[in-house]
Amino acid sequence: MWARDGVTDEYVFSVVRDGIPGSIMPPHGLRETELWMLVAFMATLAEGGGDAEFSGDAGNGRRLFAANCSECHRAGAEAGGVLGPALTGVTRRRSPEALMQSIREPSGRIERGFRPVTVETGAGEAVTGVLKNEDAFSLQLVTEDQDLRAFGRDAVRRVARLGESLMPVFGEADLDDDELADLLAFLHGSQ
Amino acid sequence: MRNAGRLLSCLILPLAMPLFAQQDGPTYEDILRGFDDPERWLTYSGDYSGRRHSPLMQVTPENVGELRPIWTFQTGTTTRGRGFEATPLVDDGVLYVTGSNNYAWAIDARSGRAFWSYRRDLPDDLTYGASAPVNRGFGMLGNQLFMVTLDAHLLSMDRRTGDILWDVQLADYRIGYAATLAPLVIDDKVIVGISGGEYATRGFIDAYAPVTGERLWRFNTIPGPGEPGSETWPDDPEVLARGGGGTWMNGSYDPELNLIYWGVGNPNPDYFGDSRPGDNLYSNSIVALDAERGDLRWHYQFTPHDINDWDSNHVPVLVDAEWRGEPRKLVMMANRNGFFYVLDRTDGELLLGEPFTGTTWAREIGPDGRPVILNDGSQGCLPDPWGSTNFMPPSYHPELELFYVTARETCATYVPEEPAYTPGQASFGGVVFIEPDGAGALRALDIHTGELRWEFTYPSPTFGGVMTTASGLVFAGDHEGNFIAFDAATGENLWHYQTGSRIWGAAATTFMLDGRQHVLIPSGTTLTAFALPE
Repeated sequence: MWARDGVTDEYVFSVVRDGIPGSIMPPHGLRETELWMLVAFMATLAEGGGDAEFSGDAGNGRRLFAANCSECHRAGAEAGGVLGPALTGVTRRRSPEALMQSIREPSGRIERGFRPVTVETGAGEAVTGVLKNEDAFSLQLVTEDQDLRAFGRDAVRRVARLGESLMPVFGEADLDDDELADLLAFLHGSQ
Repeated sequence: MRNAGRLLSCLILPLAMPLFAQQDGPTYEDILRGFDDPERWLTYSGDYSGRRHSPLMQVTPENVGELRPIWTFQTGTTTRGRGFEATPLVDDGVLYVTGSNNYAWAIDARSGRAFWSYRRDLPDDLTYGASAPVNRGFGMLGNQLFMVTLDAHLLSMDRRTGDILWDVQLADYRIGYAATLAPLVIDDKVIVGISGGEYATRGFIDAYAPVTGERLWRFNTIPGPGEPGSETWPDDPEVLARGGGGTWMNGSYDPELNLIYWGVGNPNPDYFGDSRPGDNLYSNSIVALDAERGDLRWHYQFTPHDINDWDSNHVPVLVDAEWRGEPRKLVMMANRNGFFYVLDRTDGELLLGEPFTGTTWAREIGPDGRPVILNDGSQGCLPDPWGSTNFMPPSYHPELELFYVTARETCATYVPEEPAYTPGQASFGGVVFIEPDGAGALRALDIHTGELRWEFTYPSPTFGGVMTTASGLVFAGDHEGNFIAFDAATGENLWHYQTGSRIWGAAATTFMLDGRQHVLIPSGTTLTAFALPE
């Protein structure tokens, strides 16, 4: 929420207190102290990065993005895949340190909706992708070839939950720290 | 697998790949083929004709009594005073559906489980969009979905993730604009209209480039000073600039003539006509636009100088049929003003205009093509502002040559009053008193005469839309929440299911999946899928 332009603690406070007229967000009759406690708590959930400096070469970052990332990610108007999360504006949601760590160690933290699985069907087919949704009777994936596919569990023999992200590890030899800085500068400019 | 090889091409050409080059999803040719692929439903009415007539034959008058729910999807979002009005699109076992408050989902058609969900971060000061926070569905082309928003934007999303690809503003919502319809996608254009005729706005129909979101043309439904049609308005630019004429319901398309057919809404103010003497073109009209440039080819005005809010925002139904012994290209509309119309869609010639409800407003169309008005409202008992029907989709059965429409029998008195024109505030221009004892009916009309072939009455004025199937069924719904199947030829009621909430503005869809015909209806906060037992 704080990633939106113009959103301040006071704004969030007033939305919680007054609700949003004409929407399903109701007013909340909490005491003022409780409202501020709630705002403070919500702020801890927002992984800020908005004020960080991005001094890399965004032009080079764009080239690096196209060469290394766009097969699975989209950023702004750039062509890109859908296997990984869209990275438009990601620097306003996550800190540079957290982003660099995700590039160096993609399996360290895999967001819900991007956890990798291999579904083996009773017919002997094995489909790898990221798990979007599941219940006791069905699974919904974006497959490695980047399309939507669902499975009824009665047709599934096994679901292997993969510990490793489908994203490759980018070590120093692949992208050095300067190149990562360029990449983040490009992402910071993506709208 | 349908997509085998695409990953390989991505690996080979990652840098040369233009935007959206991962070609997949339906093409324009697929949409043109309409119902040819029984597993798809790719545009609002199922095809460009607006007939909402499926060729599917598995569910029949004989077995429809066995139809049962197989899953229910809960949207988690409500619409005060209105309905869950969307038509889901269906491709490759996935439903793409929009909801109220600009929510949207991709849903597994086999299980009713979502792949992704989307919710637009709407501003707090919506105008028209706050009073009718509805949406009628996606348009689709390739991997792109198109959706309009309550703050009057047009979005393109990736169908696989719900990620926004581009976002363009149609108009300034703060003045009173919003957008609620399902975009009409043709070859290289996304066609949309606008809501807001209850505010001091000016309607339009726009075309956008699917890949870039660039606007290609705009047709203003209210002419500018000096333009053709302006002679039907006072010579006052301010009156024209707030003339209304919303275009908030889906149009139809004839690819052969390359013409788009679109309904235009009420002039503003709705009930107070003294400030806008004249016919007020192109309000309450159907317009035929050249798809390439948006030029007006012809128009027909159903309600000149409307003072009853009888928008003509209905799905135009395109039919090729023999008419008085000659094959003709027809367009049909059952109008909010209580008349069923048949026009020649090549030139707009009026061929038939007959009343389909008991309105006292007019009972005939004169030789000049204008309604002969018997009661201007001062004698009371006119159709209410919601009209003798409304935007809920009708349907047409080509073998039976019957037009099916949800009719509303109401009785209202209009008291006009000059409004203030404040940006962002509604300017209805008066009040309306509606008698409480209205009724509704599903009516089957003979297209050649407008005569009533059969009807099924509802206890209250109803907003449920209609779908027909080639097996001889009509699916409709009522204000009391019943989803109902009828014999298309006789009107015999064959099956019903109580959904638990009014069916409002929505009509059924149907498609084949794993050899089973599925039938879907949105209602309240749910989307329910039905099929015959396995």
